[in-house]
Parts: sequence; structure tokens; C-alpha cells
Amino acid sequence: MIQIAKTTANLLISAALVAGLAGDTHAQGKTKIRYALGDVISIDELPLLIAVERAKARGVDVEVTAFKSEEVATQAVINGQADVGQGTPYAAVQKVNLPIRFFYQLSALQFFPVVAKESYKSWKDLDGQEIAVQGRGSGTEAIMILAAKQHGIKYKNVSYVPGSQVRALALLKGNIKATILDAANKNRVMKEAPDKFMILPLGNVKASDEALFATREFLDKNQAGIRIFLEELTKVNRSINANPKWVLDERKKLGLLKDLPAKMEDEILPFFEEAVQNGVFPNDGGAESAPKNDLEFYALSGALKGENLKVEDFWHLAPLKAALANVK
Amino acid sequence: MNKLCRWPVTPLAWQLISFILFFGIWELAGRWPISFAFPPFSETLLALLGMTADGSLPKAYLSTLQPLIIGIVLCGIAGIGFGIGMGLSRALEWYSLPIFIVLQAAPMAALIPLITYIYGIGLTSKVLAVVFLAAPVIVMNSYKGIRNTNPSLIQMCRAFLGTRRQEVMKIILPHAAALIFAGLRLGLAMGFIGIVIAELLITPTGIGDLITYHSSVADYPKMFAAITSIILLAAVTIHGLERLERRLFPAEIRGS
Repeated sequence: MIQIAKTTANLLISAALVAGLAGDTHAQGKTKIRYALGDVISIDELPLLIAVERAKARGVDVEVTAFKSEEVATQAVINGQADVGQGTPYAAVQKVNLPIRFFYQLSALQFFPVVAKESYKSWKDLDGQEIAVQGRGSGTEAIMILAAKQHGIKYKNVSYVPGSQVRALALLKGNIKATILDAANKNRVMKEAPDKFMILPLGNVKASDEALFATREFLDKNQAGIRIFLEELTKVNRSINANPKWVLDERKKLGLLKDLPAKMEDEILPFFEEAVQNGVFPNDGGAESAPKNDLEFYALSGALKGENLKVEDFWHLAPLKAALANVK
Repeated sequence: MNKLCRWPVTPLAWQLISFILFFGIWELAGRWPISFAFPPFSETLLALLGMTADGSLPKAYLSTLQPLIIGIVLCGIAGIGFGIGMGLSRALEWYSLPIFIVLQAAPMAALIPLITYIYGIGLTSKVLAVVFLAAPVIVMNSYKGIRNTNPSLIQMCRAFLGTRRQEVMKIILPHAAALIFAGLRLGLAMGFIGIVIAELLITPTGIGDLITYHSSVADYPKMFAAITSIILLAAVTIHGLERLERRLFPAEIRGS
């Protein structure tokens, strides 16, 4: 009996030592970034997934978790359950008593106002009419308000319908007649009923759709790991901008999104070709232009309050500058 | 024993102490803070008063209560009628009982988004969300109320040569009334859950809009104030109905 107890104790001590050593090796050799994504992983996340794989090969382990919404992903960063978040929670950054900063622009806004042809044919026709957008204070609402101001019109009512796919379906079923959709859902609607809908022209909006954010503490403590990750994200964006087909090759090579339905596989190339054409993926991670554009745009959307907003209260550009210095 | 009873504490005092303790712990947890997104009770209370004063909360409730009331009235009429029908007719019971048992067990939060595929994103979908959650409880309680009628009373009615109509109107329905009313109360509680889920999952309107919007702009005191207000309203309404139930039906009929 005593022998069994001794053996068990020895085994436990050995296991603890092995676990301790393994943990130490992990801490010394690898940087781990817990990445909170507020969306379902789909084809638009391919640049991120490619960069994650390439960063992993350079010793930076980026663990991506998909949350239900941007708010939940932001909460995870605020509460310390995630290190880096993806999205544009400017209101949270402004209000929460914790120094969170944006440090990289993943992509710029790309949305399309889609209307039912039989009801509306131009922006002027939307005067006094009902429209549907993502949510109160969202980027989609700001785009529609901006367009209304530019065309001197006023909507009767703005209803909030979260999810581009839900709005696309409501549009196809005739529940709504005017809305704003992302590229993938705009393509879906135009493919399914090209005769029934049309896209209204929109001026150039340069604000961020997706940006990376983290606490200042995390950015300062993990400079090397963040620099490598940003280098890879920048290289991926530059490769896509040079040749959108590159995404297809990398996806195959790295075995990403293997369970994607064939129908969606065909949508990858048109999506990236259109995004590249519209300048969605910045070659420089947003650098100096994204912070200024974002502050203007999100102040207009109502997400940011107050005047004389300062870039340094929202963005920390040192990690991006360090990464850009290493990418030729 | 006498020492313990030196300061007699009334039930009301116990309730007050319980509330003070709860809100005190909430205040401490918010000030500590357990999370940067968790506001203290005092800030939440101020936000609640502010939202009531500026009219945003009453306006939200006008929007939220509309589908809830329509849904509960529909369930109250059709659900109770159907439940009584199931209790009185073996054929109807045989056809419908499995459906309501499945509906009671089904995770409704997963099914509600599917309603939008058929009924769109308007008022109809929200009323249906309330009906889907409230109807099974209301129907099943009405059905059980009818089935649980004391058989001796029915036999007595028959012994006095009472007709089937007299048996139903004078024995079964009065006896089932307490359980039917309890079903309505529980159905309303489920209806509150249904409307909040619908306003969070289908389209953010009313109280769901306040929760979603204040969460997205990180105004956590207002977000918690909206959540607290709907919990309070539901709790007070259900408690009020429970008291009414106790007054209307004596303990021997309620079965407690």
C-alpha cells in the first residue's frame, strides 16, 4: 500500500516537473496572442487566417476565437480574456476606463446601398422613405446619413436589422425596399434577382471596417510578437493587392476553410477582386490616414462624442511603424 | 429561544434586508471592479432615473409591450381553448399532446431566428416569438387542469343525472380554473423571455434596442439599467398575478 502511494507521488511530481518545463519552453520560445473576432469565420477572413499561419511559422501563436458579435469580442478584450480584438468599437475605447488603443487597419469600409427598382431609382426617391441599416450608431447608419446629407434628403424612418445576410433576405422577400449590404450579400442579391434591385452610387468612404485593438499594456509587453504579426498582415494585404488570385493559392497551400461549400468557393475570387478595386485592404495598415478618417467618420456616426478628438487617445502607431520598417 | 426573539423581524424587514444586501454587494462589485464593463448599483440607478426622465425608457416599453400583450392575449384565448379541448377530447389530445411536449422541451432561442425566414422582421415575428414560448405552458396547464378534476365530483354529477354540458360547466371548468390561471401567469413569464429574445435576435426595438445600443456604445450603466428594468417589470407583474391568484382561488382548489 505504502509502495503504491510512493509510486503515485513520484508520478505526480514527475508530471508536474514535465508540465512546468513545457510551460517554460512555451514562454521562452513563443508569443501567444489570443485574438477575438466578432464575426463568423468566412471568406472575408482569409487574409487574417493566412497571416495567422505565417506568423505561427515565425514563432507567434495567434489563437483566433470567433465570438457572436463585435460587442462580445470587445468585452473579452476589456475583461482580459482576449489580447487583441477585431472591429471598430470607438465608443467603448472612448468610454471604458482602460487604455485600449487601435494599432492596425485590417480593412476599410465597403458597403453598397441596394434598393428595389420598382420603388426607387435614385437617392432623391429615398426622401421621406424607410431604410434599414445594421444598428443604431453603426457604420452602415453613418454611411446612409452621410449620403442623405450629400443628396439633401431625409429618411422617414431608419429601422435596425443586424446582419447583412438578414437584410439581404428581407430585401429578397420584399420585407424591406432599401438597405445597405456588404459585398458578399450585395453580390448574392444581385445574382438572385438582378432585374429587381439596383445599387445606388456612393462617394468614397475611407474609414475602417475592421481594425485591431488591444490594451496599451499588452502592446508594450509583447512588442516583438505584435511586430511579427503586423508584418505578416501587411505582407498578405500587399500580395492580395498585387494579385487577388494569390488568396486562392495560399488557401489551397495552407488548407484553410476546407469545409467551405462549393458555391461559396466560387465567390472568393470576385470578392477579393472587387475589394482590391475599391482599395479595401491598405498596403500600410492604415498608418497615418486611418486614424484621422476614422475619428471623422465615427464622430459623424454618433459612436464618438465630443470635439477636438485626439488621435493619440485612440491609436497607438508605434507597433505598426516598427513592422513597416521591416517590410519592404 | 427567547433571546433570539428579542427583536422580532417582520417578513417585510427581511425582504428589505435582502434587497439592501444584494444592492450593497452589487455596489461593491462595481466599485472594485469585477469588470470594467460592470457598473456599480448607484450608477445604474442614476441611469435608470435618467432614462425614465428623458422618456427613452417609457418609449421603449410602449414598443416592447405591444407584441407581448398581443401574444399573451392570443395565447390566453386560443391556448386556453385548445388546452380545454385537449382535456375534454381524447382524439384532440392524441393529435396535439406530443407537439406541445416537444415545444416545451425545444430550445426556443435557437428556433426564433428561423421565424424571420418565414414571417420577416416585423411585429408578426415578435408576436410569434411570444406565442412560441408562452403557448406550451398555457395549453399544457389548461389541459392538466381539466384532466385533474376530482373523479368523485364527476361521478357525483353523473349520479344526479347531470348532462355532459352541466358536468363541464359546473364541475370541470370551475375546478380547472386555478390551474388555468396559474398557466396564464407562467405563460406571461415565458412571454417576457420571448419578447426580450425576439428584440435581441430579430430586430432591436424597444427594450432590446436600448440593451443593444448602449452595449455597442459601451454605456454600461444604461445597458444594465435597461436589463434591470425589464427584470423588475417581469418580477412585479408575475408577483402581482400570483397574489391575485391566491385571492381568487382558495388553497384547496389551487392544490396547495
